[in-house]
Amino acid sequence: MNTPLDHPPAGTEPILSCEGLRKTYRLGRIPVPVLEEATVDVHEGEWLAILGASGSGKSTLLHILGGLDHPDQDGGVVSYRGETVSGLRGSALNSYRNRDIGFVFQFYHLLPELSVLENSMLPCLVPGRWLSASLPLAAAAAGAVTCGLAGWFFGDAALPAADDATSARLAVVAITWAVVGAALGVLAFQLLQVIAERTRLRVGARARESRQTLEEFGLGHRLQHRPSQLSGGERQRTAIARALANSPKVLLADEPTGNLDANTGREILDLLKARHDAGLTIVMVTHDPKVAAYADRVIRIEDGCVLEVED
Amino acid sequence: MYQPLLANRYLTSRIIPLIAVAAVALCVGLVIIVVSVMSGFLDMLLSSGRTLMADVIVRSGDPGLPYYEELINDLEDLPEAAAATPVVESFGLLKLPYEDRTEGVQLWGIDSESFGRVVDFEQTLVWNAVPPEVESALEVLGDRLGNPKPPTDLGSIPRLDPVGPGDDPRIVLGVEIEGSAKSRTAEGTYDVTYPRYWMPINDVEITLLPLSRDGRVQKPDNRLFNVANEFSTGVYQIDSKRALVGLKTAQRMLNLEAGILADPRILEETGEVVSIGPDPARVQMILVRAADGYSAEQLRNATREAYERFAARIDADGALPRKAPNPIHVGIRTWREQLRDILGPVEKERELMRILFSIVYLVCAGLVLSIFWAIVHEKTRDIGILRAVGASRPGILGVFLAYGLVIGLAGSVLGALLGWTITNNINAIHEAMGEPAPVWSWILAWLISLAMLVFAIISAFRGGMLRTLLSIVGVLVFAAVGIALFLHQGFMMWDPRVYYFNSIPSRVDWFSAVLTMAGAIVFSVLGAAIPAARAADTDPVRALRYE
Repeated sequence: MNTPLDHPPAGTEPILSCEGLRKTYRLGRIPVPVLEEATVDVHEGEWLAILGASGSGKSTLLHILGGLDHPDQDGGVVSYRGETVSGLRGSALNSYRNRDIGFVFQFYHLLPELSVLENSMLPCLVPGRWLSASLPLAAAAAGAVTCGLAGWFFGDAALPAADDATSARLAVVAITWAVVGAALGVLAFQLLQVIAERTRLRVGARARESRQTLEEFGLGHRLQHRPSQLSGGERQRTAIARALANSPKVLLADEPTGNLDANTGREILDLLKARHDAGLTIVMVTHDPKVAAYADRVIRIEDGCVLEVED
Repeated sequence: MYQPLLANRYLTSRIIPLIAVAAVALCVGLVIIVVSVMSGFLDMLLSSGRTLMADVIVRSGDPGLPYYEELINDLEDLPEAAAATPVVESFGLLKLPYEDRTEGVQLWGIDSESFGRVVDFEQTLVWNAVPPEVESALEVLGDRLGNPKPPTDLGSIPRLDPVGPGDDPRIVLGVEIEGSAKSRTAEGTYDVTYPRYWMPINDVEITLLPLSRDGRVQKPDNRLFNVANEFSTGVYQIDSKRALVGLKTAQRMLNLEAGILADPRILEETGEVVSIGPDPARVQMILVRAADGYSAEQLRNATREAYERFAARIDADGALPRKAPNPIHVGIRTWREQLRDILGPVEKERELMRILFSIVYLVCAGLVLSIFWAIVHEKTRDIGILRAVGASRPGILGVFLAYGLVIGLAGSVLGALLGWTITNNINAIHEAMGEPAPVWSWILAWLISLAMLVFAIISAFRGGMLRTLLSIVGVLVFAAVGIALFLHQGFMMWDPRVYYFNSIPSRVDWFSAVLTMAGAIVFSVLGAAIPAARAADTDPVRALRYE
């Protein structure tokens, strides 16, 4: 049933590919196969549309390609630039999602508490694993040690006058202060981060790029607005700006126009086309052949199988 | 770093965190206030107990400690001791100047000068001057009362033993022994309600029962004493029972003074007193004050060793007719051990309170947990988005832990401030509670209630369900507050006339306060950690599909 891509654009190597993908969900005890031996190659600079009806498994395929989901055990492999990514875990997987892939969803999925600019910069704000865990821990440790030592040396003052300052009581005082100190350390770090983040959002190089992208997308006047204050098209443009924040090689778009009227949908597709023309590889899932028509190449997926290739 | 940014936004863009902060603050404030009042109460008991009880008490029953001056010298030579004073203790009968009333009292014979060095005697004296009521009464009634002369040394340590012939012995009474001539005011001072029986212009009669060497009651000795002053320690059990007289007088009345020791065999056979040596004066107690920097326990141990050396020395001296009591029969206790029956229950109550209020922490943790559960539930999609852009599990955990940390820290700091403010102003609050509510307060409450009623009616017509409901709740609350204020006629929880404190004793116990704050922070972070861990484990695809 499955038909591998047999007409690759000449002269290009697949940047993203999957082979023999199988994915089964479980509804209670009943296994529901979603993908069966799906094989797809995506070439660099290509716009691939995955066309299929609702529930055909096209979104699942996209999620597995983007590292958001895993295939079944021994259910095929996903490769990015020749390296297997389907078995990635932890920081390697996070880095793949953060740097190599950009995701655009049908329902935009913007964080409602962040402004348009902050939402568009979100991938830039996600640091490496080492940075995210060690700095607050270091701040907590510094606070704990400082306050703990202060508690130990000045513990007499904290003890009720009638009690004798035994070392056990002093230890309790020191530990208590260490807890408070750790909390204060993390809080101080957090406050510094908020200030630093604000500065970065205002004057940082990434902020400049994001601002530029948003202005390009016609959202220059909306930078400080919240998603709830935007129209559907503006939200989707913000989501695309976010997906492009870390300059990924591949953009995965799951029904990017599915929630928009025809005109706005066209605007979004034009925007994607402009990016594609600039060299971006796009994999787009849609159920609408008109939308699929924007792609260089269309594959159809039905009942979990890649059925045919249409040019 | 997106965690501080997101935690900050989550905290500032909705009302739930404010409720959580308020809950934590109330819990922390409550614990601090309760522990502070309990600690203050205990402190007051300790300090008032200590004012008439030295750091260490050496006690020996009858026939008492002989050669006590020598022992006192030994004790005062100890680096741990600052001063020591002898005390004679006995039960006596006190006859008040009216209605032939007689009370049983615990009589202490003291050497006022050294007693004042060992305990804070001067601070406990009630009368510093003759009250104006007494002065004016004396002007009118002086002749009829036989022109009594009020003591001239009110406010300073009185001399108690007579110094010359014709001098009467003097006595200092516990302030609660005589209760009908004066009343305790809300400030904790005393008003003389019946100047005729203001004690320092009266005489009282004391009857003591001396014991023979074999413990038999001998002929009672009764004498008239001028009242020199009254004392107040703040502990009812002491103030209602104890009377202080001069050491020499007490020794004389109890046959404890220095004399000659007669040969008991010749005395029995012939009735002739044949001296076998001088009989030293004796006392039942020696009070010792610790030197600065030494604890009562250290002093007790040093005193015990000093007493053992003293007893061995006396026993070894064959020339001395009396032996020192065996060290195992001499009680050497710290003042805490001595007052255990009074202090013990309060200390236990405070610990019990701490335990009970630790349960409040758990309630707090439960509250924070449920709030976080709701928040994380609501933020499931955000978690999916963050995972899709490459956020790690610890990173997601960090967002919610930071959130819990800020709530815990803000709540505990606000709670500490609340506790500190209330504890420091507890007496003002208490006094305000004691007054009837001012008229404007309940009128204002009713006006607000009326305004809310109008608002409720308007909202009902406009069809705003929530506004109507909230307005009705407001109407009921303010009307109830108005009624409560209208009916409030002043309520003294601790009336100083009934309870034995001038003001509610309170002292912010910073050890407990910091412990409480740390507990609140830890519980808030733990309360956040569970749903946060659940959030971090959420499968991104499932989280993104979450509606």
